[in-house]
Amino acid sequence: MKKLFDRVFDGADEMYALAEKAIAETVSELGESAPLSMPNTAYHLANHLSYIKKQITTVGELKDAFEEVKAWNEHGQNLSAVFRTGFGTFMAAEAIEACKYAKSDDPYEGKYHGHLSDAEVRELGVPLVTNDIPGFVVIYGKAPSDEEAVSIIKGYQTRGIFVFLLGEIIEQARRLDMNMGFPVRVVAVGPDIWQVAHIISFVNRAAMIFGAVQPGDRYELDEYTFWRIHAFVNVYEPVSDIVVACGGGAIAMGFPVITNDENDMWAVPKSLIIQKTTEDFIETSLEARDIKLKITNVDIPVAFSSAFEGEIVRKADMRIDYDGSRFDSFEFVRMTEAHEIEDHSIEIIGPDIDETPEGERLGIGIIVDVAGKNMVKDFEPVFERNFHNFINCAEGVMHTGQRDIIRIRVSKTAFDAGFRLKHIGEILYAKIMSEYDTVVDKCSVKIYTKPDDLKELRKMVNETYDARDARLLSLTDESVDVFYNCILCQSFSPSHVCIVTPERLGLCGAVSWLDAKATNQLNPQGPCQVVTRERVIDPEIGIWEDVNENVFASSHGNLESVSLYSIMVDPMTSCGCFECICGIEPYSNGVVIVNREHIGITPLGMTFPEMASMTGGGVQTPGFMGHGKHFIASKKFMKAEGGSQRIVWMPKALKDMVASKLNATAKELYGIEAFTDMIGDETVAEDPDALMEFLADKGHPALGMEPMF
Amino acid sequence: MAFKKDPQVFGAKITEVAFGADGASAVFGGGNTLPLYSFDAETRHRPLVGIEFSDKGPDRSLPGLAEFYEGADSLTDVAARACMAQGADFVSLVLESADPNGDDIPSEDAAALAKEAAKAAAGSGKPIVIQGTGNVDKDQELIPKIAEALQGMSALLLSAKEENYKGIAVAAVTAYGQKIGAESSVDINLAKQLNVLIAQMGIQPADYVMNLGTAAAGYGFEYIASTIERVKLAALSQNDDALQMPVITPVALDAWSVKEAVVSEEDFPEWGPREERGVQMEISTAAAALAAGSDAVILRHPASVKTVSELVTALV
Repeated sequence: MKKLFDRVFDGADEMYALAEKAIAETVSELGESAPLSMPNTAYHLANHLSYIKKQITTVGELKDAFEEVKAWNEHGQNLSAVFRTGFGTFMAAEAIEACKYAKSDDPYEGKYHGHLSDAEVRELGVPLVTNDIPGFVVIYGKAPSDEEAVSIIKGYQTRGIFVFLLGEIIEQARRLDMNMGFPVRVVAVGPDIWQVAHIISFVNRAAMIFGAVQPGDRYELDEYTFWRIHAFVNVYEPVSDIVVACGGGAIAMGFPVITNDENDMWAVPKSLIIQKTTEDFIETSLEARDIKLKITNVDIPVAFSSAFEGEIVRKADMRIDYDGSRFDSFEFVRMTEAHEIEDHSIEIIGPDIDETPEGERLGIGIIVDVAGKNMVKDFEPVFERNFHNFINCAEGVMHTGQRDIIRIRVSKTAFDAGFRLKHIGEILYAKIMSEYDTVVDKCSVKIYTKPDDLKELRKMVNETYDARDARLLSLTDESVDVFYNCILCQSFSPSHVCIVTPERLGLCGAVSWLDAKATNQLNPQGPCQVVTRERVIDPEIGIWEDVNENVFASSHGNLESVSLYSIMVDPMTSCGCFECICGIEPYSNGVVIVNREHIGITPLGMTFPEMASMTGGGVQTPGFMGHGKHFIASKKFMKAEGGSQRIVWMPKALKDMVASKLNATAKELYGIEAFTDMIGDETVAEDPDALMEFLADKGHPALGMEPMF
Repeated sequence: MAFKKDPQVFGAKITEVAFGADGASAVFGGGNTLPLYSFDAETRHRPLVGIEFSDKGPDRSLPGLAEFYEGADSLTDVAARACMAQGADFVSLVLESADPNGDDIPSEDAAALAKEAAKAAAGSGKPIVIQGTGNVDKDQELIPKIAEALQGMSALLLSAKEENYKGIAVAAVTAYGQKIGAESSVDINLAKQLNVLIAQMGIQPADYVMNLGTAAAGYGFEYIASTIERVKLAALSQNDDALQMPVITPVALDAWSVKEAVVSEEDFPEWGPREERGVQMEISTAAAALAAGSDAVILRHPASVKTVSELVTALV
């Protein structure tokens, strides 16, 4: 078997010979002083300019430059020599083409596109840089059949990929009257391999225009083409040496080559890929070049908009009711390996809506598998929690709950419009692929409706839910490397910053440490930024130098210091959207907590809104602090002042809500059983005297503690 | 006790941004003091005052405006006349007819109008700021077309927003060498985020400015003022380089849309002539925007332009 290096060198020699011949002919026909240029470009022969910094304007200059170009074909037995030879081959190809343009402004007489003008480079360059066009493909050779030629071109077209055609595939497409041209993003460049020079010229000019790459700067050029130009090559068998030589140049630029030719072909991972099944060229290519397609529309027969989020489907209007309170049901996101997922596959296992009698109630299970290089298991629940928002946006579809307590109703109107279970899959697929495109590369959906399957699968997903809860419990402030800040509220509370830690969620209750982490990864410029925790000042009160620096910068200089575990020393500020406020109750040495929903008065003589006015708007008021409900049971809750055993009063509803977790914390930290029974509420006291009586009666621990001020 | 002068000069400064072709250019930014604090340090570039006109022509029902533009019928004439306004540092074309909620003329036609106005302005020695429609989808298509039509003129194109900045930034700045405005709505963090995103497209700080939002004085203007002030303080006192771009505030549209500038003299005789009221709204809004920290304002009426320009001259 002939070595790949030798194939490149032999192919390069062929191209060089053709170039030498073309230059010699042109010199004898036009003379050395004859002008030579490509039409409508300020970049001369862009490949020569890029690689050897030569601004060629005459036939003679091209001839002289060719001596230098020869040095790029040295047959050295190492990879960098092979790559150089690839570029040399592109220059030789450009020389051949330039000779044609020296003789005529339009050597292809409209039959082929040939050279691309600077205007076309800009027109195509902008969407490539912004990713509105996800990439381009160069297809060379003859497809197995005319039909397949058209089908691969259309396949790329529908995925928004720009297509350059070289060689026989052009005639194949023409025989079936395929519409081609710049506007439809399919360009018939030319009949021979050397017209590849025009495509490379486009790439080199794009690097100079959009990447400010300087002529002759190979390092910057390679960086630019590799990271910014999402191109790849498809070549049909048989692949000759001269094509292999060009392929060497393409690979050097970071453009993988995919072929079905096995003869004398050496597969190189991620670079030279042999795919025998030509029908799979598209998928293999996109994966090889890491091209992700943008999903913009949700393919369902009913309207999809946040306007329908709050819509309720009533019993009389419903076609079907998937009811998790009576039948085994669940929704579940699972991270898996990329090769285990067939992207965009939506499977319905069990009867669909139209195979179920009207008004029926039954169970449903939704499993979404996702994979991606940047995906981490911690994002599973973050995606899962958004199912509610996603599914609810469909007109005539109602979703409530999460995990294994979901309910989904589909209205008769939506059903009549053609809504079926697979459309739930379409919604989830489209939303996950578009909202989380930075971390998800592939996604598939399975929907189950058979009771036996549901029973078994529910057991399986419950194990994962339990594992996730255990993971959340094991996440402590000490066990993580970084915290996050959240400035989502600064639009209306300009000087407030939340510092979100595993044991202290955002005061709105909506941003946990995992949420903040996900927000940061999905949108690195967004409202949640990493806060390091390396330079500790006081671990008890929760003060870090790094945290203070971040708070100072992100509050735009309004706050200098914040403690995470104290309500007395520089307590964290509040925007105004806190779930709860706690405030000092001076008689008992304790604190009172009141939640937003509670309308009555507290033993402090203040209502929630009155307490809110003490602490909102990004000001630090020692003795008052806004926080999330889940923070109450945290071991870090006012740890500096002695922790949650200071809590002396909460509205009953709030107390019931946090009881199990708070009692567990109190037992672990202070050895107190049923701590919430010691805490007053509006049914026992709304004034300090009655509260003190109650606390004394219960032997509340706060009464024996140090005063807080 | 003798007065001791203690100048407040910052180590950081606002980026200088130049726009316009040779012989018809302007520079803004460069300051290292609080706005208009010329007593603390010499002002590098005085704030710019621009005069705007619509591609549909001036509102000739206002006698003063009609007189100023008298005999200027074509867009070229109007642009050239605007350049003659006393105190105007630049002119600004509003592509009113491209608005999808109005005439919705094709982007190619609008770009041709922009070219016509830009040529006339350059001929009179003034740089041009082109204001798109404000419609995210239309501007995404329109602004690159204008950028292409105005190649080599280094015009300032407003605006790129979070929804369409990618295509506008790359096409206008990278492909065709224009300058752009980054528009966010009255929020320092959104402004910063957009600036960072634009920088990530490879756009240099000297190639874009900020439009932090606008409102007429008395109509929520305090939100604008506080946002501009906070941006300036972050840029200067905290050396936040993602907020150091100069600020341009198009005042005219809002000032001429509020009740004071809209209702007729017949309906409110005690308020006096409508034109005077509109001019007053422009002047008070522009003065407040400059005091908050705007590096450029855009006004419609030549009388406003003259007054605000005189104010700037008197202060810096």
